[in-house]
Amino acid sequence: MTPIAPQEFWLLLPEMVLAIFGMALLIAGTMGRGIGSRMAAVASLVGLAVATILVVWTQGQATMGAPILAGMFVLDGYALYWKVLFLIATALTVFLSVRVIEEGGYRAGEYYSLLLLATTGMMLMVSGFNLLSIWISLELMALSSYILVGYFKHERRSNEASLKYFVLGALSSGILLYGISLLYGATNTLALPELSRSLAQAILHGDLLSAVGWVLLAVGLFFKVSAAPFHVWTPDVYVGAPTPVTGYLAVASKAASFAILVRIFYQGLAPLVIDWQIVVAAVATLSMIWGNIAALTQTNVKRMLAYSSIAHAGYILLGVLAANETGLWALMFYLLAYTFFTLGAFGTVVLLERREYAGETVSDYAGLARRAPFLAACMLIFLLALTGLPPTGGFFGKVYLFAAAIEAGWTWVAVIGVLTSAISLYYYMSIVVQMYLKDSEETTPVLMRAPGLALAIGFCAVVTVILGLLPGIFVDLAKSSILPLAWNLL
Amino acid sequence: MFDWVLQVPILSIICYLPLAGAVIIMLFMRGTNNLAIQRFATMVVAIDFVVSVPLWFAFERQGELFQFRESANWIEAVGARYEFGVDGIAVLLVLLTTFLGVAAVLSSWSAIQVREKEYYIFMLLLQTGMLGVFMAMDFFLFYVFWEVMLVPMYFLIGIWGGPRRLYAAIKFFLYTLVGSVLMLLGILALYFYNSTGLMGWGGLGNPRSFFIPQFHEISSQIPPDLQFWIFLVFFVGFAIKVPMFPFHTWLPDAHVEAPTAGSVILAGVLLKMGTYGFVRFSLPILPAATIRLLPWLAGLSIVGILYGALVAMAQKDMKKLVAYSSVSHLGFVMLGIFSLNTAGINGGVLQMINHGLSTGALFLLVGVIYERRHTRMIADYGGISSEMPLFATIFMVITLSSIGLPTLNGFIGEFTILVGVFNRTWWWALLAVIGIVLGAAYMLWMYQRVFFGPLKNPENKGLDDLNGRELAYLLPIVAMCFWIGLYPKPFFEIMEKPVDYIVQKVDPEYAAAVADDGEPSADADLVAEVED
Repeated sequence: MTPIAPQEFWLLLPEMVLAIFGMALLIAGTMGRGIGSRMAAVASLVGLAVATILVVWTQGQATMGAPILAGMFVLDGYALYWKVLFLIATALTVFLSVRVIEEGGYRAGEYYSLLLLATTGMMLMVSGFNLLSIWISLELMALSSYILVGYFKHERRSNEASLKYFVLGALSSGILLYGISLLYGATNTLALPELSRSLAQAILHGDLLSAVGWVLLAVGLFFKVSAAPFHVWTPDVYVGAPTPVTGYLAVASKAASFAILVRIFYQGLAPLVIDWQIVVAAVATLSMIWGNIAALTQTNVKRMLAYSSIAHAGYILLGVLAANETGLWALMFYLLAYTFFTLGAFGTVVLLERREYAGETVSDYAGLARRAPFLAACMLIFLLALTGLPPTGGFFGKVYLFAAAIEAGWTWVAVIGVLTSAISLYYYMSIVVQMYLKDSEETTPVLMRAPGLALAIGFCAVVTVILGLLPGIFVDLAKSSILPLAWNLL
Repeated sequence: MFDWVLQVPILSIICYLPLAGAVIIMLFMRGTNNLAIQRFATMVVAIDFVVSVPLWFAFERQGELFQFRESANWIEAVGARYEFGVDGIAVLLVLLTTFLGVAAVLSSWSAIQVREKEYYIFMLLLQTGMLGVFMAMDFFLFYVFWEVMLVPMYFLIGIWGGPRRLYAAIKFFLYTLVGSVLMLLGILALYFYNSTGLMGWGGLGNPRSFFIPQFHEISSQIPPDLQFWIFLVFFVGFAIKVPMFPFHTWLPDAHVEAPTAGSVILAGVLLKMGTYGFVRFSLPILPAATIRLLPWLAGLSIVGILYGALVAMAQKDMKKLVAYSSVSHLGFVMLGIFSLNTAGINGGVLQMINHGLSTGALFLLVGVIYERRHTRMIADYGGISSEMPLFATIFMVITLSSIGLPTLNGFIGEFTILVGVFNRTWWWALLAVIGIVLGAAYMLWMYQRVFFGPLKNPENKGLDDLNGRELAYLLPIVAMCFWIGLYPKPFFEIMEKPVDYIVQKVDPEYAAAVADDGEPSADADLVAEVED
């Protein structure tokens, strides 16, 4: 075991700072009358900003790609890209949360504290280079999310969602851990690079133990990214959770799970690429078909977005499936764009939602184009992006996810992908129909007065369009920070 | 006189002028009255048309294949570039788009009474999308315009359409989207085959690029089996757009429900994007597959001609009749293109323009009378020629143009197509001729029932004849019909080079045979006769 140099700890400074902010908020929330939602939000944003600066700073400090802290973590371009992405997603979630938490009447400190701790977990996880450190970070993220989902503790739906999420989440974590333990039994290591080397040996002997191990590991990860058939928790949790939390789960949690799925599959399970490609192809196909078809009949926007999130897990899995450079950067680019347009879409739900859960059914959007043309236009952009139509980042990202699959010879999966994505037009357009094509009886704008949130939504819309028209620099960014394709090195 | 055109990025100006207009309306015309928005939008499309006219004069008939080139970096990471350029065929289609755009916007003044501001914004965005499709020389850019354009059209049908507008709008959107996403897979397959390679097919190792002439260049290197698959997905994309039988079912719904201007643009320009796709991509890039599938392609075209005509004959609604006549006419265009020789493609391209003019005008005319009587049922009319003599005259001219009477544009197009088709396989032409006869039958029968006979319905008494604004957008179309009918030579001249190029690409043996003769072959002679 290599000795740990003290300065290596500094490389995890962003995570430490974020954890400190999180815990400080927790304490502040319990003292006296607690901390107000706005104050806590500002504090969280400061924490996130400091963490972002530190992430950029660590880039200059480390030898990129070298394992640190006894091989538990690694600091490479891949990890840095995702860390920044998680921080952005969390910051946007904070903007979504301010008014909701304020009006919910619950203690604000705990909420933001959990948000920051979940983000800390994500950031640690994506740096993880050992299945043990990955699992622990994953649990930090998951446990924080369970509580966040049940944050409206007097709401029955919120409770139900939290419990469901917890039970199924714990089950999946158990499966994941069991898979890890079997892999350990088969290979005698948990570090990703060594795991990959041992597996290369193991497959030569047709080892059953490691096969069961990696399949269970994969199942646990598919659960986290909400891919079918491991998606059953998604709709209920998405509907029951406070809307900003739903957005956070749909974006940050999903992105983090994909980030680590890719790292494990590409670096740890690299020798098994032929095997796991078949599994990924099946799961991706099922997710795209089931997610899109089930979304067709939904009338609750959050539920619809939940199924759409399952479908998106399917599209994004195409990038994993391709197992080539295009797939990898397309996946990273797509999740970047997805962050903005999905959180934007949830933001509009939040804005409409204020009066007793109004704004959750599709028909609440009736005549929105007249009542709030700006908001409707933004929502239109988000829906076009979700469908994958230009000029949005959703279009460009999706094109390259499909492109990667075609390049890798998985044409039939790409065909299913484009056809199901055409189906998705139908349900996304049902919201557009309400906004633009129907008139509502209400004439007064019912929107929440939340200038910060409106600004955040506008920002998301602008970024979505920029990512669609000028994706170049972001593609370069993703390309420069992709993982080395491990099987090329083997 | 038109040299300045070469000094400025003329294509970008034409393409984005409507977009700029839409943005101005969106941002700066808050609370402005509808009349001002109307006038402003009309001014924008009119200026756009005026700016596009110099293309006709400055385009060198014998010069480079693609002219007015604009080239800039766009998404370097994937090799997509901002490439604009037009050949003779695209020039004609760009002019058709700007020309019909003016007519469509003018016709909306009275037809659109609600949510005018949004209407004109979508109308202008649609113009930009369509123009971009015809100008793009980069496949990725092309695809962006191709899809972007669906959104405003969806809104035009969905907001200002008839009673079943929601159904028609989503049907239109879904059909075309299914086609275009499949086409996208074909584009990507070409892209990878040209560069790093497709798993299982290998690749050519060229730099990553979406540049369309690059794909033309490698056409002979693409293995026929790969060509076959790419052709199939392209075919779905383009055939839905054209629409070819059996992909046509969205068209009657969309046409009947769309507002008049929407139908004009739909029939006049949108459908041409499909035929343009065949001419620009399928034929020259995938020649082996084209020839392999030729009997099927021609068969579907012929079925479309006959089926469209027969169904049109049974229609009681004028707009639906015109819609089905489009299926038949577009079948003609496709058959001409699939004859894969100079005369056929010449005729096909010219007929694209002709169909845009005459069917566009028919929709405008139906719109005129619909605004007065709020019905499109043929049975509600009869004998109105006495009330609206001017209207009846123009309707007659356009009807005759549509059925292909000599001295009018339809004749030139159909005749040239038949010459080409006859040269390919004589009995295809025989079947196609039946379509012409049927076309004359349903159009004249409709005309007779609407305009002649006694004026039975009292509501039709005292209908106003065409007003100045209506004449202003109808007469130029009539003039164009006569121009093409009497002196089509300039039109054949401008498309000569690109058509030769396509024939050369898709059927080099035929092209070589023509060249060996040292003089134009039999069908070229016939074309020459027609031209004179």
